[in-house]
Amino acid sequence: MMLSEEAQTEITRVAVLAGQLLHQHGAESRLIEQTTQRLGVALGAEQIELSVTPDSIVITSLFNGRCVTTTRRCYDRGINMQMVCDVQRICVMAEKQLLDVSQVKKRLKRLVPYKHNRWLVVLMIGFSCGSFSHFFGGDTAVYWTTFIASSLAMILRQELAHRHHNPFVIFASAAFVATLITSLGVIYEVGEKPQIAMAASVLLLVPGFPLINAVSDMLKGHINMGIARWVFATLLAISVSIGIVAAISVTGLSGWTH
Amino acid sequence: MDDFLTIINLFLIDAWFAWIPAVGFAMVFNVPRNMLIYCAVAGAFAHSGRFLLMHFGMPIEWATLLVSTSVGFIGLYWSRKHIIPRPVFTVASIIPMIPGSYAFNAMIGLMEINTGGYSLELMQVVMENGLRTLFILTALSFGLALPSILIYRGRPIV
Repeated sequence: MMLSEEAQTEITRVAVLAGQLLHQHGAESRLIEQTTQRLGVALGAEQIELSVTPDSIVITSLFNGRCVTTTRRCYDRGINMQMVCDVQRICVMAEKQLLDVSQVKKRLKRLVPYKHNRWLVVLMIGFSCGSFSHFFGGDTAVYWTTFIASSLAMILRQELAHRHHNPFVIFASAAFVATLITSLGVIYEVGEKPQIAMAASVLLLVPGFPLINAVSDMLKGHINMGIARWVFATLLAISVSIGIVAAISVTGLSGWTH
Repeated sequence: MDDFLTIINLFLIDAWFAWIPAVGFAMVFNVPRNMLIYCAVAGAFAHSGRFLLMHFGMPIEWATLLVSTSVGFIGLYWSRKHIIPRPVFTVASIIPMIPGSYAFNAMIGLMEINTGGYSLELMQVVMENGLRTLFILTALSFGLALPSILIYRGRPIV
């Protein structure tokens, strides 16, 4: 099989689009690397080399000693596992020779991030933080305080995210609101240990995905990406604690859970 | 016998409360709808399994490592069955085990040191909670990564 220069450029563009989508929607570096390489090779390139950095990817396709290189900037578009699944599925289909270059491109362009119903998410997050308060030993009154505080914090988080605010601002304000509401529980002595609600209601803001991606990236040799994700997760945690401290200093309470 | 029944009861309650955060956070990560049930099953299994191991005297870090490794292997099976990348199931199912209260206590302790001055008791709280947070987190993500480190070693899983 011979590739013209245009065909090789097209393959490179399609492969980099797949990598960019994975990167923007929170896939780990190993997955970005492997999927892009497999897609490029399946579409006819001899070899795909790429370097994944925290905010961009650089990819080179090789064919008969000819190189085509391209770079894409990757803006964070929020974690979306459905997009990751779809890109992976398209890659597998291309590997089985079910799709050619133009079909892969059409399908990748057609992907739209799927979002769950936002009120359902609010409800589930409220119950999730309520479950956390149960794990920490809270009673029913504490459960419902946590439920209300974390649901309202989640609504605020969704509203701010919808308006494309900075993630640090979003996390700090959501933590502020959640802590403010749960400290009302402490002031009016709702339940046995109302302080538990203060700890449980901010857990919707734990940056779990970046933290786990960070460690698995570092374990699999992408130290740079791992450090970047770790720092991002740490900064998010720090903004959460700024929000908590601000709320605590407004109400003048101490947040000890024991 | 009574003792046994109490443990089973606590185990079931634990599993019931653990599937809720797993599904809740899976929805925040936009896991496809037909995969949410797997997150729920793995989340309930992981947290209640850790509860059982800790009940029989295992330290929390090792119990976490054990169950997160098994979630990693279960995820391996499901991801090959459904041709879906592994983090889709695994990350949401271990979210209930994230050491939130330890991290919270460590952080509040640091803030108290800042406002009220250094004391040995405060530093003890900060260090103990902080270290525990760090080790549990490492155990969680290391356990999830183990299948691809030990078995697949650089080859793609799906």
